[in-house]
Amino acid sequence: MLRWLSGLTMQFPSRGPQPVGIVFDSDLGDGVDGALALALVYGLEGKNEARLISTSTTKSNLKSAAFGDALARFFAGPPPAAGSFGGGFQRTAPPMGMADNGKLDADTPVLNAVLDKKTDDGKPAYPNGIVKLNDTADPIALIRNAMTAQVDQNCIVLLAGPATNLVKVMDLAGTLDLIQRKVKLLIVAAGSYPEGTADPRVKADVPAARRLFAEWPTPIVAVGTEVGEALPFPGAAIEKDFAWAPAHPIVDAYRANRTMPYDAAAPSVAAALYAARPDGFKLSAVGAIAVLDDGRTRFTPKADGHSRYLTVDPDQKDKVIASYVELASAKPTPRQGGRGRPNQNNQKQDVPPPKP
Amino acid sequence: MTITRKALHRRSFLRGMGAAIGLPLLDAMVPALAIGQARAVKAPLRMVFAYVPNGIIMNQWNPDYEGKLGELPRVLKPMEPHRDDILMLGNLTHNTGRALLDGAGDHGRCSGSYLTGIQVKKTTVDIKAGVSCDQIVAKHLADQTRFPSLEVGMEDARQAGDCDSGYSCAYTNNLSWKSETQPLPPILDPRALFERLFGNGVILSPEARAREADYRRSILDFVGEDTRRLEATLGPTDRRKLDEYLTSIREVERQIERTENTNAQIDPHMEKPYGIPADFAEHFKLMTDMITIAFQADLTRVVTFLITREGTSRPYREIGIADGHHPCTHHQGKPDLIEKVTQINTYHATQLAAWVDKLKCTPEGDNRLLDNMMLVYGAGLSDGNRHLHEDLPTLVVGNAAGSIKTGRRLVYRKETPMCNLHLAMMDRMGVRMEHFGDATGELSFAELT
Repeated sequence: MLRWLSGLTMQFPSRGPQPVGIVFDSDLGDGVDGALALALVYGLEGKNEARLISTSTTKSNLKSAAFGDALARFFAGPPPAAGSFGGGFQRTAPPMGMADNGKLDADTPVLNAVLDKKTDDGKPAYPNGIVKLNDTADPIALIRNAMTAQVDQNCIVLLAGPATNLVKVMDLAGTLDLIQRKVKLLIVAAGSYPEGTADPRVKADVPAARRLFAEWPTPIVAVGTEVGEALPFPGAAIEKDFAWAPAHPIVDAYRANRTMPYDAAAPSVAAALYAARPDGFKLSAVGAIAVLDDGRTRFTPKADGHSRYLTVDPDQKDKVIASYVELASAKPTPRQGGRGRPNQNNQKQDVPPPKP
Repeated sequence: MTITRKALHRRSFLRGMGAAIGLPLLDAMVPALAIGQARAVKAPLRMVFAYVPNGIIMNQWNPDYEGKLGELPRVLKPMEPHRDDILMLGNLTHNTGRALLDGAGDHGRCSGSYLTGIQVKKTTVDIKAGVSCDQIVAKHLADQTRFPSLEVGMEDARQAGDCDSGYSCAYTNNLSWKSETQPLPPILDPRALFERLFGNGVILSPEARAREADYRRSILDFVGEDTRRLEATLGPTDRRKLDEYLTSIREVERQIERTENTNAQIDPHMEKPYGIPADFAEHFKLMTDMITIAFQADLTRVVTFLITREGTSRPYREIGIADGHHPCTHHQGKPDLIEKVTQINTYHATQLAAWVDKLKCTPEGDNRLLDNMMLVYGAGLSDGNRHLHEDLPTLVVGNAAGSIKTGRRLVYRKETPMCNLHLAMMDRMGVRMEHFGDATGELSFAELT
């Protein structure tokens, strides 16, 4: 009987409080920082330390969305083993949000390297399902909808790109209240603090960044370029820790970004790690972040402010970088889909439609 | 010949004892000097939501192409003759139908939120949804037609009890909500709908109704005197139109009588009211014939039609399916169950096609009745097996007086709210709203670029 009960426990794992849900909005393909951060969030998800509840790109470029979709499929992992909970049912690729600002953002070497790579038999090495605009999701609805499904104060928004999408979310009717209720923290990997040179992520949409820092209704932690440079992603790990996969999209992205060897500045990776493992970092006092016309950011301490910026704890540097590598290079873990029922995509492939 | 600017009032009725029959659009209703112009301007726009439950076998619904409609997949095959009159919409989503921390009960949620755009309260007691878009329009048009709206159904109008995992039957059995706590139950019985449309509001006692039936008198007999008086003032074209219109009413009436007689012979103790046909297609035809007549006579411009209730386990013995609809939809990939659901989906579409045929054949001014309509046919679930609330099967039939280009399939970006469609439809009905439900903006019917 006890063995039977323990078998049941294995099949139907208990559902305790869910780990924090992460809304991930990034300029995927502009450099490798955003992709590394996304890989790290998948690693956190595999260890049940976070849940990726929506993914979107701030780049108005189908290749950027395709890159995100390819990563989602790569990190979806194999289906759970037959006989286990949800066994045999692969989770489907989630919708991929993409900014549509009416202009086409440029392709990048990272995007081309990953999306153009072929297997020996000529198939895409990293399959994705994005061909047309309507293969992507409206990021505004996607982000809002993801928040609606979260327990209050169990959501973190991680922005690693221009604030274009997020300010549009704020503009939806009733959404400021929703954000205040559901989101405990906005982490912005953009700018430099307390002040410094202009970050392209801010310069890309200065009015949006200004509104975001001024009007976002929850506490904000900004992660500046200075943190990214102080805590880079080690290039050596690319050659070693990702080698378990014969082809790995992060490896190809990293190599395409710059001539190897190099350590990539990684503010978004630090931001993603902070979302789930904040212990390795320090925070400034509270204050306000102003966005200047030229795209520079300036932090001013202010007792009633709601923003802080991340600082490096020198004692934790090695540990932080080790966590980067551990999480971003983690093998995908089996994940079940939906309600444990096969989806219609599977049905389409596996069961031919009955003849009339 | 004398040219007059006097016209028969659009809202004229043929009256008689216990009867008030609205009239279709006649030439006599517009001043002679303005006929051409008035025909184009005066025909009212109508909005219909026809709802089918339990999702659709989507790979038999969605074509593998976008743009101009050509060959349609199996479920929509019956609609192929009407493909120039339909706009297929893809990727519309009802996020408020999803669990959103409320657990099981997708059927209760998806029908409750379908026209309200609201995450309904999970309860069997103190129900709470929101004002549905049809009722917003109905309120706006209230003084323009005899009935602000009609709520029609075919299956179950229970308003209490648990119909899905803790969701009240009020959510699964109604589409229209007048307020956040007041659903408007659909009329299921053809006789009740007939009397609502053509009665004068006086409710006859059962004895009086029986006496009336004994005399086998048609409602047309009661308005005979008025009819003759009107006919004498009409030209030949209008007389023909009036005759066709009254004949269609008589046909409905006869069919209701036949049904009542048949039902009484089959089983005098049957659960359904006497007027409800046992045959699905017959019931569907009666109800849609009356909706058509209601539009012809401009008795209403807003209709919701709950073809069957969400979560229904109705069998379809008419097409040889003895299993319940809902259990079949949880097919888990089994081909025999998928086949049954496909047949049910196709059967529904077949009924729709017959109705659309009638709407196309019904003239209104120089156009067809369908040309002044937006008939949305769809479901609150796409994949009924997995209870998915995205890519909801949605057809818009009719071009809304030329404001919607039909004959196409438009696929929107994923997560596009269904409420964006509601905003677009309300706008065409004359109601401009900034926000509705979880809309992110009014749906554009232009191709994506």
